[in-house]
Amino acid sequence: MSPVDGAGIDNPNLPVDPAVNEGRIPDRDPQGIPELHEVDCPPEMQERIEALMSRYPDRRSASIPALWAVQERYGWCTPEGIRQAAAVMRFTPAYLESVASFYDLLHTEPVGTHRIEVCTNISCWMRGGDGLLDAFEAAAAGEDDFYVTGFECLGACDIAPMASIDQRYYGPLEMAEAATAIAQLKAGEEVLPEKALDRRALAGDVPHPGEGADA
Amino acid sequence: MSGKEVTIVIDGREIVASEGEMLHDAARKGDVEIPVFCYEPKLGDPVGACRMCLVEIEGIPKLQTSCSTPVRDGMVVHTRTEQVKHAQSAVVEFLLVNHPLDCPVCDKGGECPLQDITQGWGPGKSRVIDEKRHFPKPVELSPLVAIDRERCILCYRCVRFSQEVTEDEQLQLLERGDRSFVGTFDERPYVAPFHGNITDICPVGALTNYTYRFRARPWDIEQAGSVCTLCPSQCNVSFTVRDEKVKRVITRDNHEVDDGWICDRGRYGFEMFDAEERVRGPHLRGDGAADWETAIGAAAAGLRAAGGKVAAIVGDASNEEGYLVQRLLRETLGSPHLDSRRSRGPAREQIVRLAQPELSAKVSDIDAADAILVLGTDPLHSSPILDLRVRKAIRRGGAKLGVATERPTALDGGAEAIARYAPGEASGFLVELTEALTEVGAPSSLGTSSKEGGTADAMGALPSSSAKRSEGAPTSVADTLQGAEKVVIVWGERITRERGAIEGLFEVAEALGLAEKDGSGLLEIPDATNARGLREAGCLPDAGPGLSEPNRSFYGSGPQKARLDGKGTEEIRAALESGELEALILFGVDPLRDFPDTPAWARALTAAKHVVTFSMFETLTTAASDVVFPLETHAEKDGTVTHPDGHLQRVRPAAGRPGEIRSNIQVLSELSAALGHDTGIDSQPSAFAALTEAIPFYSGITDADIGGRGIRWQDTPAAVRVPSASAGAPSSLGTSSKEGGTADAMGALPSSSAKRSEGAPALALGTYRDLWAGPITDLNPPLKFLRPSQRLEIAPSDAERLDLKSGEKVSVSQNGTAVEAEVQIKERVPEGVVFLAEGTAEGNANGLLNGGPVRVRIQKLSEVPA
Amino acid sequence: MPEQRVLLEHADDPALRTIDGYKRLAGGYATMERAYRELEQDEVLSELEDSGLRGRGGAGFSMGKKASFLPRGEMAKYLCCNADESEPGAFKDRELMQRNPHQLIEGIAIAALAADAGHAFIFIRGEYAEQADILDAAVAAAYEAGYLGENILGTHRDLELVVHRGAGAYICGEETALLDALEGKRGNPRLKPPFPAVQGLYGGPTLINNVETLANVPHIVRHGAEWFKGFGTEQSPGTKVVSVSGGVRRPGNYEVELGIPTRELIYDLAGGPEHGHEIKAFYPGGSSSPVLTAAEGLDLPYSFEAMAEAGSMLGSGSIIVADDRVSIPHMALRTARFYHHESCGKCAPCREGTNWTVKMLERVVRGEATPMDLDIISSVQENIMGHCLCVLGDSMAMPVSAMVRKFRDEFEQVIEDAGLDPHVVVQAPPETMGASA
Repeated sequence: MSPVDGAGIDNPNLPVDPAVNEGRIPDRDPQGIPELHEVDCPPEMQERIEALMSRYPDRRSASIPALWAVQERYGWCTPEGIRQAAAVMRFTPAYLESVASFYDLLHTEPVGTHRIEVCTNISCWMRGGDGLLDAFEAAAAGEDDFYVTGFECLGACDIAPMASIDQRYYGPLEMAEAATAIAQLKAGEEVLPEKALDRRALAGDVPHPGEGADA
Repeated sequence: MSGKEVTIVIDGREIVASEGEMLHDAARKGDVEIPVFCYEPKLGDPVGACRMCLVEIEGIPKLQTSCSTPVRDGMVVHTRTEQVKHAQSAVVEFLLVNHPLDCPVCDKGGECPLQDITQGWGPGKSRVIDEKRHFPKPVELSPLVAIDRERCILCYRCVRFSQEVTEDEQLQLLERGDRSFVGTFDERPYVAPFHGNITDICPVGALTNYTYRFRARPWDIEQAGSVCTLCPSQCNVSFTVRDEKVKRVITRDNHEVDDGWICDRGRYGFEMFDAEERVRGPHLRGDGAADWETAIGAAAAGLRAAGGKVAAIVGDASNEEGYLVQRLLRETLGSPHLDSRRSRGPAREQIVRLAQPELSAKVSDIDAADAILVLGTDPLHSSPILDLRVRKAIRRGGAKLGVATERPTALDGGAEAIARYAPGEASGFLVELTEALTEVGAPSSLGTSSKEGGTADAMGALPSSSAKRSEGAPTSVADTLQGAEKVVIVWGERITRERGAIEGLFEVAEALGLAEKDGSGLLEIPDATNARGLREAGCLPDAGPGLSEPNRSFYGSGPQKARLDGKGTEEIRAALESGELEALILFGVDPLRDFPDTPAWARALTAAKHVVTFSMFETLTTAASDVVFPLETHAEKDGTVTHPDGHLQRVRPAAGRPGEIRSNIQVLSELSAALGHDTGIDSQPSAFAALTEAIPFYSGITDADIGGRGIRWQDTPAAVRVPSASAGAPSSLGTSSKEGGTADAMGALPSSSAKRSEGAPALALGTYRDLWAGPITDLNPPLKFLRPSQRLEIAPSDAERLDLKSGEKVSVSQNGTAVEAEVQIKERVPEGVVFLAEGTAEGNANGLLNGGPVRVRIQKLSEVPA
Repeated sequence: MPEQRVLLEHADDPALRTIDGYKRLAGGYATMERAYRELEQDEVLSELEDSGLRGRGGAGFSMGKKASFLPRGEMAKYLCCNADESEPGAFKDRELMQRNPHQLIEGIAIAALAADAGHAFIFIRGEYAEQADILDAAVAAAYEAGYLGENILGTHRDLELVVHRGAGAYICGEETALLDALEGKRGNPRLKPPFPAVQGLYGGPTLINNVETLANVPHIVRHGAEWFKGFGTEQSPGTKVVSVSGGVRRPGNYEVELGIPTRELIYDLAGGPEHGHEIKAFYPGGSSSPVLTAAEGLDLPYSFEAMAEAGSMLGSGSIIVADDRVSIPHMALRTARFYHHESCGKCAPCREGTNWTVKMLERVVRGEATPMDLDIISSVQENIMGHCLCVLGDSMAMPVSAMVRKFRDEFEQVIEDAGLDPHVVVQAPPETMGASA
């Protein structure tokens, strides 16, 4: 780490930061709580956030729901979207960005509209989750519309290996079904209907795998 | 804390502690050191996040964090068992897992808690061979503070400071887990008036000041304590000095005054001690630098020639300096015309009443207050540290806040009741408040001022974050104050520019019974740092040292016949213009920048025959002066100042005086001698001795009493010798007696309604002293980015009516004078009122003020005829 | 022993999701009506306490006792349903909410009576979007039918119920972190004491219970504490919905009496290991529980006390089975990675401990390690345990140290197999480095 160039007036051996003699000038403005007239918040979003705030005894509780609303509107939590929510809620955008960045499902960077979260946690890993993730990544390669990521336990170990596709669970999936799902999403068709979670029966009601039932 | 005493046993020793006190603090009282990182009592409740302070408490199987465990009677604690040592070593090891080996190049080295604690409680050898976590480093967090995120140990002190002390909430934690880092929204700079404090509280070298990077190691420097005199907060500071130059300013933690914080102006405003514009020696108009003898001779000659038609205005001065100036004027020059205020002010009687100990509150009273009224000032701009104090009282003490000002304040968000009165209508508001307070039970519709133009309405408080309050239930200011046991009114001296305001304030104080209530009273925020000290030292047209009535005896045996009818600041100006006065001594004031009605002052200074100015820097005023003498800064001065709440504090020299600067006390002495009167005072001790003798209620206070923490004169035995307030109640309309030249006379000012110009709609103008508008910002390169340009704050409805957008340039004019400003639309500005800042280098609003409320005309700059 | 369906009774019938179906199939809301109209707060509390119902979210604390900690008085009190199920291996709450939302709503309503709460929240993890939709619809229906809102059933009691979706953080399952998240902040745990029962949501008294715990409430109040104690063991009464997954042939949720032999759960109900494979080890209580080898654990009764005695825990009641194909070092790494990802970062031992453990395990798995590194890993787990702000640190330290201890040979073999010279300076892989670029 080299000292800053430029020595002090009195002692040539003391390096001096330009802040001392010239002053540093920031290239951007700070951001406090924006006023509503400074941001262009879509009226429906403002109404929605205000309705969310009214559900709680303390309006701060509506932070995550408001961020969900921003993400639904803009595809991810854009800085501008965060500013708009901040203006409506009377918080600083820094606060909302801090909250958003803590959670896995709120994105503070642009992501594709179709979200595919492939579970790579223990039970799914045992049943091929890593390979499934690779398959999805390969199938969606180069497509900006798709966001594929590994994810921690989604609470669907009974259908391992599984993925959450646009907030719906599908499994157990085979490698080849990754490409199928991507194709279905692109075509606007129903995704892997037989693998959807809400179609499954209770485990105990599924025929018991007897001895020799699967070789 | 209940105050009850309990006994606990730590490491076999009995220690007496207060019930409810945190175990860590109790241990420290008993000389047992428990290492901590995230624990900082200044920041409020403990978080127990760093786990460094784990101790063993008998009866509890798991180790507990001592910072968050309140003591109970009979608690038995062990801090040096194997289990505890193992835990402490483990925590240090964990903190060092990702901490970079930057010590050789890190500013914090040598004064670093992480180094110290590693040395004392760490494992001694690293087992980590994996690569550590990386961040780009260092990054500009703000133009003044650099952040090195690799060094950060995520103790959250800085984030908690931003969220819970200053409540600006710009600094936050981002991401999660070991990817967490401290940052701002969208990588914007962290700009806030207190953000420099995070470099004080950061326990590692993650947050460093750009002004101090690589400038010194702790063994190169000396620390010297003093008091910052850049604003009435008078925070206690410690200067870091190397080779007789100030390199850094840090806090000196005085709970009674500053609660351990300092604002950025005080922290970074030291480069100016060496600025080019600094007056380094006396000089004469036109002739350039002169030696001391010549200069003093010239000054004396000019003053003598005025033959008693001389006045003095004092501003930035210590008690000793103020005392000597008033002696110079009264004894040596035989003139009664002097003042220490920028404009009109209360008469002597009222100042005496304000000085009554029962009526005055001290700063720490705010902590325990049940209700606080902020009146006529925005503490963030006028006395920044009080803004933090009020926030603390609301957040931790449960205090209720009422705000009554012309202009929206930074504290509005936490206020229960807000009242906006039109500019110049503070007295009207106070009358209504008194009525509301004396009406039993009736809820008041307070704050509606019917005066022309300014619509002030009792705005409902903005919803606060506290969960318990139901939103949308506005209470009036009176409701907030009524029934509270401890009430503190923080009020701005500015309101006394209006007639009737100080009387109105007394009526409110009486209606609330402040004098009878414990821990209650008035706390003034004056314009000048040492305003109170100067008043009590006698720098008033109608009062002498100790607020004594002017009488012939203290004019001593001076050559001139003593006169009693002293003129105040405004009258002095008028008299200079008319020629009634011929000479002027300006001590630490810059009328052309800081006083209302700049054109009038310019005329006055031109008309004056002889102007002697004492100034730290070259200003417009020094350019218009005949003799200019240098002034010491608060890092070079030796003297005492008096805090607005009565604390006498000591300013001590820390750095060397540049150039030919001499001690002001000495200079005033020599000047007096040159005029034929040797006071015999030429040093701080002798000046202080004379001062305490002359002021009855300071008598007996010694240097040792003041010490490093100050002493409140109201707490000394001499306090009973304060003059008593006159038996008769002050008249309610504020007509103070002309005798003695009160500073309250309105003067011949045109009534506002006559100024409404035809055609263009006129708006009422309110002004305020912006924190950053002044020479401190101009002359300190690190603060340059904060230099404010003139902004016209306007309500959205008015902006729409006048077809103005934020950022547009406009011309704001009144009675022939105009200033340029940039439009800034702000939601909370009341309709019909606009605000401009005083003291900006360009477009100074003081140019438009002519003593009373004014109305202004706004035109787009593009439409103003060339 | 077959399943014992109480909570999952009729769960195969989609009509159960509607109020009509719930009433018809399960006699739904009758208990709530009786409780609101006829029972006192103390009566409900004592029934719950007598039943011995233990928290089903992982801690296993007596639910009734926890509810009785709430102070009395006029202040606002709250009830939070912890539906943040994010423990690896656990998916029982998902099943309960998806198939029988009204059972949960009724349980919340009755528990709110026990706690005198006027405002209730279901904090459901954001990933459970489908289940949250179902809950939204069920809550709306309950409001319409007058089971929620103001003046419920004319009893002058109010109860507002808000379905609050999380946004993806395991730590929000920790009760104080849940409170912070519900208050709109980052999900950081708080110091305890003060406990949520006294100072919880918005600083007021708060009762926090798991989905399954609350789902039991209508049944207990309907049939009585004695009925409930008729199931299970003395220290672990009642039924439990157990999630079984991993190397078994029929993974899924099975509701059984507590105390059932673990072997029966895994073999008879979940179909046992895949054909031709043996069970090597299993997590009895989700990934936070120390693993038990097949020899150690299969013949234990599946109950709170038996698992605790064996040095592990029942936790949320989620069994993850590792068969002989699973490499334990890799499983340890996968487990550690989870906690590293989910650590909130507030306290140093967990934040840095998880980071360091992952880095070391990655080197082990790559073979760039020595047996001494295994000692360091164990030492680091010791350093984490008992020193953190919340249990997440322990939740990694316990399983990882158990794995290193019980399968030391396998770890050393992995190191040896890679055959690298351990004196070579290693380079860490990019995943464990710092912030997003």
